[in-house]
Amino acid sequence: MQNHLPRIRSLTCFLLAFAILSTVTLIPVHSVAAESESELIAVLRSDAPEAEKAVVCKKLAIEGSDAAVGELAKLLSNPRLSSWARIALEVIPGQKADEVLRQATQSLDGGLLVGVINSIGVRRDAGAVEALAARLQDIDAQVASAAAVALGRIGNEAATKSLQQALASSSGAVRNAVAEGYLLCAERLHTEDKSGAATEIYDQIRSADLPMQRIVEATRGAILSRGQDGIALLMETFRSDDKTLFQLALFTAREFPGGEVDLALADELTRATPPRAALIVQAMADRPETVVLEAVVNAAQTGDKHVRLSAIDALKRVGDVSSLSVLLDIAAGPDPELSQTAIDTLAEIPSDGVDDRLVALLPDAESDRYPLLIELVGRRRIDAVPELVRALDHSDSDVRHAALIAIGETVSLEKLDLLLNQVLDPKNTEDVATAQQALKSASVRMPDREACAAKLADALQQAPANTKTLLLEILSDVGGTTALQTLAMSAKSNDAEMQDAASRLLGKWNNLDAAPVLLDLAETAPEEKYRVRALRGYIGLARKFNMPERDRVEMCKRALDQASRSDEQKLALDVLKLHPSVAALKLAVQTKQIPSLKQDATAAAAEIAQQLRKKGVDVSRFISGGGS
Amino acid sequence: MTRPTNPSSATAPRRRFLKSAVASAGAAIAAPTIIPGSALGLDGAVPPSERVVMGGIGIGRRGGYDLSCFLPQKDVQFIAVCDIKQKRRDEVKKIVDNHYGNQNCDTHRDFRELLDRSDIDAVLIATGPNWHATAAMMAAKAGKDMYCEKPVTKNIAQSLILAETMRRTARVFQAGTQRRNLPHFAFACELARTGKLGKLTKVYAHPMGMRALMSEWLGPEPEPDPEIVDWDMYLGPAAWRPFNAKLLDGFNFEKGGGFVGAFSGGGVLEWGSHCVDLCQWAVGDCPPPVQYDPPKDGELVARYENGTELIFREKGWIPLGSCPVRFEGESGWVEAGDSGKMVLSSPELLAGRDVAEIGGYPATFHVRDFLDCVKMRRQPKGNADAACNAHIACHAANIALYLDRQVNYDNQTHLFVNDDQANRMRSEALREPWRL
Repeated sequence: MQNHLPRIRSLTCFLLAFAILSTVTLIPVHSVAAESESELIAVLRSDAPEAEKAVVCKKLAIEGSDAAVGELAKLLSNPRLSSWARIALEVIPGQKADEVLRQATQSLDGGLLVGVINSIGVRRDAGAVEALAARLQDIDAQVASAAAVALGRIGNEAATKSLQQALASSSGAVRNAVAEGYLLCAERLHTEDKSGAATEIYDQIRSADLPMQRIVEATRGAILSRGQDGIALLMETFRSDDKTLFQLALFTAREFPGGEVDLALADELTRATPPRAALIVQAMADRPETVVLEAVVNAAQTGDKHVRLSAIDALKRVGDVSSLSVLLDIAAGPDPELSQTAIDTLAEIPSDGVDDRLVALLPDAESDRYPLLIELVGRRRIDAVPELVRALDHSDSDVRHAALIAIGETVSLEKLDLLLNQVLDPKNTEDVATAQQALKSASVRMPDREACAAKLADALQQAPANTKTLLLEILSDVGGTTALQTLAMSAKSNDAEMQDAASRLLGKWNNLDAAPVLLDLAETAPEEKYRVRALRGYIGLARKFNMPERDRVEMCKRALDQASRSDEQKLALDVLKLHPSVAALKLAVQTKQIPSLKQDATAAAAEIAQQLRKKGVDVSRFISGGGS
Repeated sequence: MTRPTNPSSATAPRRRFLKSAVASAGAAIAAPTIIPGSALGLDGAVPPSERVVMGGIGIGRRGGYDLSCFLPQKDVQFIAVCDIKQKRRDEVKKIVDNHYGNQNCDTHRDFRELLDRSDIDAVLIATGPNWHATAAMMAAKAGKDMYCEKPVTKNIAQSLILAETMRRTARVFQAGTQRRNLPHFAFACELARTGKLGKLTKVYAHPMGMRALMSEWLGPEPEPDPEIVDWDMYLGPAAWRPFNAKLLDGFNFEKGGGFVGAFSGGGVLEWGSHCVDLCQWAVGDCPPPVQYDPPKDGELVARYENGTELIFREKGWIPLGSCPVRFEGESGWVEAGDSGKMVLSSPELLAGRDVAEIGGYPATFHVRDFLDCVKMRRQPKGNADAACNAHIACHAANIALYLDRQVNYDNQTHLFVNDDQANRMRSEALREPWRL
């Protein structure tokens, strides 16, 4: 059920969007409104409705100049239009907008004052620092907090100083906001290559009595602003008893520049508790350019199992040919979880040298390693078919099966006969199922599907009875014209088993190419049950594929003509209901003439008509008596 | 190079159908970079200390689906929901309580109460888009990680501040761009990104409607008791307008950029936050295009610094379901859509690989990616920087669309070049008392 939910929701969203359209005015995209600024200002001066003034504010955000600022400023004290006015005032360039916002701070209070202060912060008005600094003492905590963050956004020397002082004197929510603003100042200093000054701020905040999140932000800044000297603090943070700070260290380690920190991480990996080490090794592997690979490999090799699992997994991203020996040992080891994780890693390590090395190991592989290496050749899709073919003669069935699967993953079309022979003429009966699986894997991935299908079709001629169905199933998976024709011929053959298999597979064919084949089969198949099956497959195509509605209705008409049973006729009517169109309606109305279908066709016509009416189609001329 | 006329005539049968596996196994075929479950204690009962404790903010239709992806995760414990609508609060509480077999899920009307709770690690933000960026940044400043539905931002400035805030606060942010964790989209993007298509020349996104939807200022209706519907919180950072019930239940303020009029919409952002996001992934999550032409003949062309074109295209798609993308290089192309299928210029591009065909764009894998990254403090696939770039591309395209002329964007200054009108459209004031 779960995987259907998004589709259902998609439909819901569509219907919702449709409903919304009824509440909004749909306006084509056009260029900026033609009104002049003076005309827009005139609307603000008039007694026009607030809705109109609101839209004018939006337009002035793009078109307004100093000339509009005065009228916009008058709206700042209007609780309903203040935010609209600030939309314009926040982006109109020039000092006049700054001035009116500053002036507004003298007369407003509460939420409206907070909004104006926020806009001053967005504009980064250095001229407002003094006024904002004074507001840090405001008895309204929201006002004081807004002033603190606005000062942080301005971030000049005076703003920074005021926040520094306030950090010591403020408390509670305001102190938290002061820290937020002060951190913004530090961030700006850091990006402006004034890291020393930034570090001082970060350190002040780190040592202050503040919510943990501010400490986290300050600690991150303190680490990064120190440059390479920050490694010590990073490691100290890794060792913190506080889980939040340890998590910060994991985050910051991933963004820390240079290669020196990797050595420190490698050292930390050996010190940390296992739960932490399991996470540290992942952070190390997220630094692929500079990671100390040896440390990750060591962690994979010995120690706590969870750390080992994490390290083995990490090698998927940073391992190379030098890691192979250790991973192969683990893969061949006694612990199934460690072994499987190692195999998964070996299958994914990104390195050309790994492929060559794995193939080179094949000839001398010991018995327990041999099937593992073969599996890896298959999973990595290494072209090593000659070596795999040699393994087919091995006395151990595990080896032969691994080789067959690997061949299935790697063999080219030219050598597909290798697998066909294994299927048609197996040397060991216990290998048959695996060979069949391999043949299917190989066939469905062949780039030239027609050539592949031709080979399979040839093999079908010579195949023993017990493998014909299998080959037909593989042909069905391969798809394409040759496969379709082969199945069509098989459905009409004299072999009952092939008739059954081919008609079943054609009934599930997944594109419209099968339509004429199925329609023909619906008429000419040797047995009634296969004719019904083919017709149902044909109707299924009309039901589920995108096509011009005229074509769909034509398919339904043919199905209705061909059907000898009401079950299939009703299925065709269902398709018309599912895809309502004028042509579908006409056909449903026509079908009412068939006595046995009159009731169903009438109901279908009514349902289609209803759907069409919802789309605004006049259906009265198709349905007599007003159509219900 | 010939283009197959039907998706299934090219490569469709060559991949395993794993739909049922997805439905039943959930995270069983999660992204390969994910740490083994047992290393993180995910293989059995997860001790409370290792669970990601979560709250939901604005859990409506989309959020309800997201919630259905989170709840089955063994290492998640949902303990609170917040909504401005009492009915929704009660409905979602019931879902959560039913799942856990208790009555412990708390309800909040004001999400700030939820963010103040020290027992919550992460939040699911699925409000209307009007709230996404503001709520996300408040969550980050409160020390919460977040899975945030898209569109994530309303304008360019919000996009930039969002990315900066997530870095500064060291939070894990996952945009609701779940297609980044679906195998066929990931594979298509990988082909483009790794040069398998040759030098990339064009990436296509389907905006599904390049037009603006503007609502009139609807007439005022009696405002409900805030305990039942808190209209002031519903408006949130959006400019004020009177209560009207037609604006509830899914209407999203200023979804398309809101350049003129109280409300606007349009597919460039609504769908672009998915399909442009995939195009961005295909170009290696590089900075967004620098030049945007106005639309012509159903296409809006934008150009990256290296000349690759990002094309918003209404028509001409192979029928592969909603949200299609197409990537063209000098030697090949790939097209993929929500059916889970993709069509390749040559089957050889598959190079023998099986790409799971998962239709219906489930979010399960994306949710799992988020949770793993929360534990490891790693950047998830839909991280804030990636989302920021994709959203900027959409916003800039909307600006070109609205101004009906070319605009040029500078990725260093984050300004439009010599273009005062366009630059004024990069941001929009928030209603008091909200700020970013």
